[in-house]
Amino acid sequence: MIEISEQRAQLDHPLIAVPSHDELVEQLFVRDLKMFVGGQLEPVQAQIARVEDQALPATVSNNRADALRKRMARHESFRTWLAMKRESQRHLWSTVADSVERQAGELERLAQVEAPLGSVRTDETFDVPAYIQRGDIHLMPGGNAHDDGSLLQGAVMDRGGAVYMLGRNGGMLNDLRGQTAVAHVLTRFPDFAPTRILDMGCGIGTSTVPAATAFPETEVHGIDVGASILRYAHARAEHLGAAVHFSQQSAEKTDFADASFDLVYSCVLFHETSQAATLNIMAECKRLLRPGGLMVHLEVPLLHDNTDTWTELNGALEAQYNNEPNWRGALTADYQGLMAGAGFKDLMIGYQPASQAARQGPFRFGPDSEGVFRSWFIASGVA
Amino acid sequence: MTRKALPRTPNRLDPIEGSRDLDEQFMGMIVALASEVTVLRARLDAAERLLIEHGALQAGAIDGYEPDEAAQKEREALRQASVNKVFRPLREAAQKDLATVQETSGR
Repeated sequence: MIEISEQRAQLDHPLIAVPSHDELVEQLFVRDLKMFVGGQLEPVQAQIARVEDQALPATVSNNRADALRKRMARHESFRTWLAMKRESQRHLWSTVADSVERQAGELERLAQVEAPLGSVRTDETFDVPAYIQRGDIHLMPGGNAHDDGSLLQGAVMDRGGAVYMLGRNGGMLNDLRGQTAVAHVLTRFPDFAPTRILDMGCGIGTSTVPAATAFPETEVHGIDVGASILRYAHARAEHLGAAVHFSQQSAEKTDFADASFDLVYSCVLFHETSQAATLNIMAECKRLLRPGGLMVHLEVPLLHDNTDTWTELNGALEAQYNNEPNWRGALTADYQGLMAGAGFKDLMIGYQPASQAARQGPFRFGPDSEGVFRSWFIASGVA
Repeated sequence: MTRKALPRTPNRLDPIEGSRDLDEQFMGMIVALASEVTVLRARLDAAERLLIEHGALQAGAIDGYEPDEAAQKEREALRQASVNKVFRPLREAAQKDLATVQETSGR
């Protein structure tokens, strides 16, 4: 049913932290616990919310989700559901960190690549954006910008990310979003032949490697805020045979030259930033793209594409308790206006079905979500 | 090379309205314990399967195991010790209540 199994070696790329018997069982326990919380507890909260929502006075319209929240908070089971959800997340990072620490030496040895295809450039003077420092995203201890001089935080993010997504996002490669963003590019321009590509907020490169695979002749860059995760991204890409140049930079302001890219894209970046940053990132995309170049941003489904109050409240709770700094901002943004304001044309806003491999499609794009994990929201435009 | 331990506590854990810190501490401990038991059970299962695979144990031998009298006695003591250890706080709480009522009734 789900792509994390006890068949350890088959699903792992060479660098991913391979768990021992006990570590794997513990990771599967976390997955099962998350499925229990999401599949057994959460639907009941949704039912309670539906009843509570109906009981709300009709005059409550503006902040209906807030009003619902106050009513829900009176239920003890609502509070234990929230606590359990968070605890399962904390347990996830804890068990993955144990596993990574145990094999730190081996991971560091694997990261020594003799003749790398790509590169990594870190910056000790890098100014970490406030929205990253304010709270550790997804509760990953130390956060995305954590740097102890090693690549271990990247290893934690990789293994933890695959378990966090419950394998729904491309198994241990965790790359469906990147594949989907690139599939969107090929949906728009089937013969797209870029010279340079940039992936903003690349993390450990799960979204970057698909671009390098789909366009093997292209110079592919990935930027993010954390030195540890970038060191890991570099080693991971090398082990997957992908030539990628990683550098520690903010998507709001990079050191690349004007008009130096044919494609600039991001995957679930905006909801981890801020509204001000979103504006800056759009402007930076415009600066970086050559005229006619393509900008693509992939995000989770927009809030106004969901109708009920519970879905909205649930999103707000996820944002608060799982530290998603710009959840509401990114999910309610007027992407049409943002892109037009930044000078983009031929705008497309809608949903791209999830792609396993960008070159294989599906090459369709439409206004309606096909369901969470079955399609991704995308906003794209031409510079 | 000296390596720094990876951090284990995330920055920013907002309070859950209406919950006590203690509730979350309990929840954390229960999740950790459930995790330990699950891992332990899986490890025992793996041990049994490997022993059977290598002919050191017959399938069904554990379910069909009948301890002799001496073994029964030792296993009894193990179970009692577990119960006493785990539920000590409840016994202590009851004893404390008993002491209080005895004191207030002047006996």
